Amino acid sequence: MSWAVRMDGVSKRFGDVQALDAVDLHVETGTIHAVVGENGAGKTTLMRALYGAMSADAGTIEVEGKSVRFHRSAEAIAAGIGMVSQHYGIIPELTCLQNLILGAEGGVVIDLRAAEERAETLARKMGFSFDWRRDAATLSPGAAQKLEILKLLWRNARIMILDEPTAMLSPADGEALFGSLGQLVNEGATVILVTHRLPEVMDYCRRVTVLRAGKRVDEKEVGETTSPELARMIVGGDVVLPAQRSYELGSRVVLAARDLVVSGARGEQALKSVGFSLREGELVGIAGVDGSGQRELFHALVGVTRLSSGSLELHGVDVSGTTPADRLQRGLRVIPEDRHSEAVVEDWTLEQNAALGLQRLAPFARGAIVDSAARRAEAGTIAAKFSTKHGGLSHPMGSLSGGNQQRFVAARAMELSPKFILAFQPARGLDLNATEHVYAGLREACKNGAAALVVSFDLDELLEHCDRIVVMNRGVLSEPAPDKAMDREAIGRLMVGAV
Amino acid sequence: MKHGLRLAALIIGCVVVLLGALLLTGAPPAQTLKDFILGSVGSLDALGGTLQEMTPLLILGAGVFLALRAGLFNIGIDGQFTVGACAAAAVALKVPGFFGTVLAVLAAIAAGALWALPAGLIKAYKGGHEVITTIMLNNVAVLLTGYLVSGPLMAAKADAPMSEELKPGSYLPDILHTEVWRVSSALLIGVLIVVALGWWLKRTVAGYELQAAGANPTAAEFAGVNAKRVIVRAMAASGAIGGLAGAFQVLAFTHQFYEHYSPGYGFDALGVALLSAGSPLMLVPAAFFFGMLSKGGTFISISGVPKGMTYIVLGLLILVTAAIRYRKVKAHD
Repeated sequence: MSWAVRMDGVSKRFGDVQALDAVDLHVETGTIHAVVGENGAGKTTLMRALYGAMSADAGTIEVEGKSVRFHRSAEAIAAGIGMVSQHYGIIPELTCLQNLILGAEGGVVIDLRAAEERAETLARKMGFSFDWRRDAATLSPGAAQKLEILKLLWRNARIMILDEPTAMLSPADGEALFGSLGQLVNEGATVILVTHRLPEVMDYCRRVTVLRAGKRVDEKEVGETTSPELARMIVGGDVVLPAQRSYELGSRVVLAARDLVVSGARGEQALKSVGFSLREGELVGIAGVDGSGQRELFHALVGVTRLSSGSLELHGVDVSGTTPADRLQRGLRVIPEDRHSEAVVEDWTLEQNAALGLQRLAPFARGAIVDSAARRAEAGTIAAKFSTKHGGLSHPMGSLSGGNQQRFVAARAMELSPKFILAFQPARGLDLNATEHVYAGLREACKNGAAALVVSFDLDELLEHCDRIVVMNRGVLSEPAPDKAMDREAIGRLMVGAV
Repeated sequence: MKHGLRLAALIIGCVVVLLGALLLTGAPPAQTLKDFILGSVGSLDALGGTLQEMTPLLILGAGVFLALRAGLFNIGIDGQFTVGACAAAAVALKVPGFFGTVLAVLAAIAAGALWALPAGLIKAYKGGHEVITTIMLNNVAVLLTGYLVSGPLMAAKADAPMSEELKPGSYLPDILHTEVWRVSSALLIGVLIVVALGWWLKRTVAGYELQAAGANPTAAEFAGVNAKRVIVRAMAASGAIGGLAGAFQVLAFTHQFYEHYSPGYGFDALGVALLSAGSPLMLVPAAFFFGMLSKGGTFISISGVPKGMTYIVLGLLILVTAAIRYRKVKAHD
């Protein structure tokens, strides 16, 4: 057996947080190796240490039998290690080809024709296809992910680190991705997969390393463990089970959408006559492949884009032409898709961020005046709801990790008696227990008379938590047949438009 | 603290550059510093001059500050100041007396706001960058007021483009006036504007929303803020403050309008707003310091030290402030 990577006793401390505590990681050559753990367990830190993006305080790293000490990512790349982070490094203004070769152009003068040829060869080998001269802005998240992997191959990476690669992908794209990875592995490459999703570990990985609170809990052959056992190791105890609905649905209609038509960014019809309604207490999921019109529907419901036609009623009041401010006043709460750009101001304190979206409502405002004391109190409540880890309410939002920001944003959307909660990937970047807590929070709001509409690309997550699932495909909303309402396969077929 | 060390090194570097520059011009550093202090705050007369220099910088600084909070870089405040001053002079010359003075101030506010409005509209609805549009509007302001003051507004017996002088009844009153020095009510109003601005930004929902739109327009839209409308209004308000500063300059200090009216106050005001490091009340010491540099710089230039020395001081100071202000705070998982 040969080892692609051997990390032993790796430690790293940030201030008074021991991010990594003598962690070992042994990755066999030619396998997919999973690294699992909760938010803040140290997965990303460990990978950054391997990738040279950060230097460890202690411990040794061997790559393909040679002891190494990377000080910069460039050294790791030279040694054949590549990493795709959660946030893609694709620059939308550049073409696909420019993105592919960026930083590894191989000379002062770029031979574009040769580059395109090599790119095409790499892509074909992986079963991908790209229009190399188009702007990367036109890529779907799935395609962007594929381009990221090609970037690693372009740099001749033999060991690839993928951080949550399927977070943005549809089930089909996810499966295709693992198909490609399997092929790479067969050709001798090694993949280290950082993930929250246990099914991926069970289905595609050879070995798995579990981290918890900066320590390595165990390293196992996947064949010798089970999903429940892994889950217990990850959380260090029993897993919170999905909250079941414990109440009857109300009869009042909270939201009624009729014949919604919305134009997309390029003038195409992104929504084609979409209609649905939500009753009091209902938690409804929208499944679908990314880019099927969920985003446009979400934006139209928030009110940041206009309806071309159709009507929207909130508690019987027509809000089709109203502003987001008006809808927020009527009880709309939003967990936006892109936390960083749509949900928080990173330079602002937690306290200031607590009011964002609620700033005109009591107790945040008394008339036109900000009530700072109430805002501070509310910020405390919001941070406590899903146990957001923070250094103080007067610290900037940007000082929190992504998962903790997400907890804060989700909790904020459940404040001040919401009537209708609109959530786009509410569990994005959250670990198992935090995900359950967020859905439990949605459930509780629904129990108190609200309705919630959740967009997610993770069908299993929706199946576990929702009362009902509708499917979006090419701007059309459809519902599975009543006897197949929670049938994974039937829904999967609707997602790709097959009947 | 790595950052502390770097900052100390930067400050020491700045002092070295300054000393080097002084030695290069042959000025004895200690004597120059002494002259500078004497000439800017060393006597009531000097202090009065510093406060006068400070007044437009403070009010314009407040205007720039407001726009900055909304994410806008209002380089056009110099032009808004100029059209405000011109409008105030025109009105005060037509309508003498206290009523005319009030009217002149209102006209200047309107002129400044209108001058900034196109930049706001273009930014909000067409995406044209306000730095470009306001610089262009500055040129239009200078040329237009230059035309007015060499034509319709030109004084009868003047041999250069300047307006008639205001009658003393139109002057903005002083709050302090002795034989050795005076302090104009314009300064007091300027301080009040700064205090009111600080309160408005911190304590009102509208102030919160303006800053949200400035800090993250997309997140602000999701939070129910009409970011486009905020841009237009913030730009107009910033321009209104610029126009007001122009009115005060005419009514309190120069008592007439002339071609090339602003000696670059608007640009110094950008420095004032930057030095305030995001805190409105800091505008007051920042503007005072700029006033000192202006007044003290003129004084030392009499003894042969180039006035450019003050620009070196300003440049270094802004460099240090920016280093403190825009330090990247690293987040980690």
